[in-house]
Amino acid sequence: MTVKKLTIEAANGLHARPAGDLVKLVKSFPGTAVSIATPAKKVNASSILSLLSLGLKKGTEIEIMAEGPDEERAAEEIVLFLGRLEA
Amino acid sequence: MTSILKSNSSVGGLAMGTARVLVRGTRGSEARILPEAMDCERERLRSLIAGSSSPDIFSAHLEMLDDPLLLETIENNIAEGMAPREAVEAAAEGIAAMLSGCGDDYMAARADDVRDVCRGIVESLCGDSSNQFADIPDDSVLVAEELFPSDTARMDFSKVRALVTRKGSVTSHVCIIARSRGVPVVLGVDIDAIKDGDYLLVDGGRAEVRINPAEKETETFRKGIGNDNTVPEEIRRLVRESGIRIFANAGSVEDIKEAIAGGAEGIGLFRTEFLFMDRNGLPSEEEQYRIYRQAVEACEGRPITIRTMDIGGDKAVPGLDIPKEDNPFLGMRAIRISLSRPELFKAQIRAILRASAYGTVRIMLPMITRVDEVTAAKALVSECMEGLKASGTPFDNDIKVGIMVETPAAVLVSDLLAQEVDFFSIGTNDLTQYVMAADRGNSSVSYLYNPLDPAVARAVGMVVEAAGKVGIPVGVCGEAAADAKAMEFFCRTGVDSLSLASPSISGLTT
Repeated sequence: MTVKKLTIEAANGLHARPAGDLVKLVKSFPGTAVSIATPAKKVNASSILSLLSLGLKKGTEIEIMAEGPDEERAAEEIVLFLGRLEA
Repeated sequence: MTSILKSNSSVGGLAMGTARVLVRGTRGSEARILPEAMDCERERLRSLIAGSSSPDIFSAHLEMLDDPLLLETIENNIAEGMAPREAVEAAAEGIAAMLSGCGDDYMAARADDVRDVCRGIVESLCGDSSNQFADIPDDSVLVAEELFPSDTARMDFSKVRALVTRKGSVTSHVCIIARSRGVPVVLGVDIDAIKDGDYLLVDGGRAEVRINPAEKETETFRKGIGNDNTVPEEIRRLVRESGIRIFANAGSVEDIKEAIAGGAEGIGLFRTEFLFMDRNGLPSEEEQYRIYRQAVEACEGRPITIRTMDIGGDKAVPGLDIPKEDNPFLGMRAIRISLSRPELFKAQIRAILRASAYGTVRIMLPMITRVDEVTAAKALVSECMEGLKASGTPFDNDIKVGIMVETPAAVLVSDLLAQEVDFFSIGTNDLTQYVMAADRGNSSVSYLYNPLDPAVARAVGMVVEAAGKVGIPVGVCGEAAADAKAMEFFCRTGVDSLSLASPSISGLTT
């Protein structure tokens, strides 16, 4: 399993549209299971509802956990994606 | 005896019409199995996406429909012995509660989305595909438990006078659309008291619904609305003969088309807030330019006054991240936000300038209190013009820049402001509220909220005089402009133009 840590920098946190894009990104690694965890909760990153329920805001610290054939690339691309979110 | 239903949550405006109580078709037994119902709902959403002017919201719904959490929750509920319909409803409530628990308006709106999607599944399960919105008669007041984003796409707003619901929030998609269309909404109403066919008077400002009022009450109310039946012919003649110009207020490109078709001489107030609300992040210059250009072109050569964003106050924008304020109407609002975020403001100015190459455009700055706000904004406009010139992008080099006069401060220095701007537009809603220090949404002080109060009338007189000295035009926008008495007052005071909601225009232009 690959684990990456990250702090959300985007001023708006994670809203529906970027959450949807993140789900698409996760689904582009078939066979690789990705979870995202805050200190309070861990969810399946292929569910937009679960992602929204995390209530990610600027400053939230998260862990990305990927497991499967593409786990390293998946984790890296997700880190890149979250880092690029519009401030 | 008229019964009155009160609430404390609403979108302002007055309207009257016949109650149309929506009964969701979710009472029958299940006619379909769950996977079939999901397929049906998927198809329905795809057709909504294809036919909607806000497809984003339905794309998000489509994604929610296929969400693993939703499916999992429904399946677990079924495994626990619930019937499919019950399982979907319970899943909707559970997930919605989880999202609302995040505690911000944005997430609460997403909770509405989930419930909207699940309601669609339930309707498909029960084999109810009837569109209750298809045969709404004219002049209806829609009454419902709650209204969902997908309902607004199915609703013919030209027939709906007002919305009354038990549940919902003023920041929901439905309310944002209603506000932009000038349709009042009262939320949090005990709708059991309303029967289909009841005659309703809806006062959005007071968050009040009157059921089957006495004739006299209806008369008084009708005067308040000031729609075309109520502006007496003598006033309409006075308006036509005074040469005062009649423009329309618009909050979308559709509104503009409607206004021009209805005889408006142009658009006196094009609100740009809709570009900033109910979305992620902020609109890019390109996106704004596309919309402004469509708006300008829809005017077919007539003038259009584009107001730069008037957000803050009661209009929250998730993308701007403005901290909660105790007094939002006295806080970060409109030009104050724009000047504190020059990059954002310049994107809007550039978009407007670029659109100005396609018609007659004026820029209007809202919530001005001091001269230096105008000079700062004008400096940014000049800077944007230099940039466009350098890149060879066409725009109207003589574009007029004016201001909304809606604060007492602007009235008191209107002589100084007049030397800096090309036009004034008096915003009666806010000017009345600020001059009288009376919240127009607060029914206990609504007796003070009178746009023809001597204090407000004197303020208008001062502004007209200051403008007259340097020869710049003064317009009036705001709901009072459509009121017969106020209309007469503005004509006699020497106002040059009125900007009204489209339905109020008929009979005023020749």
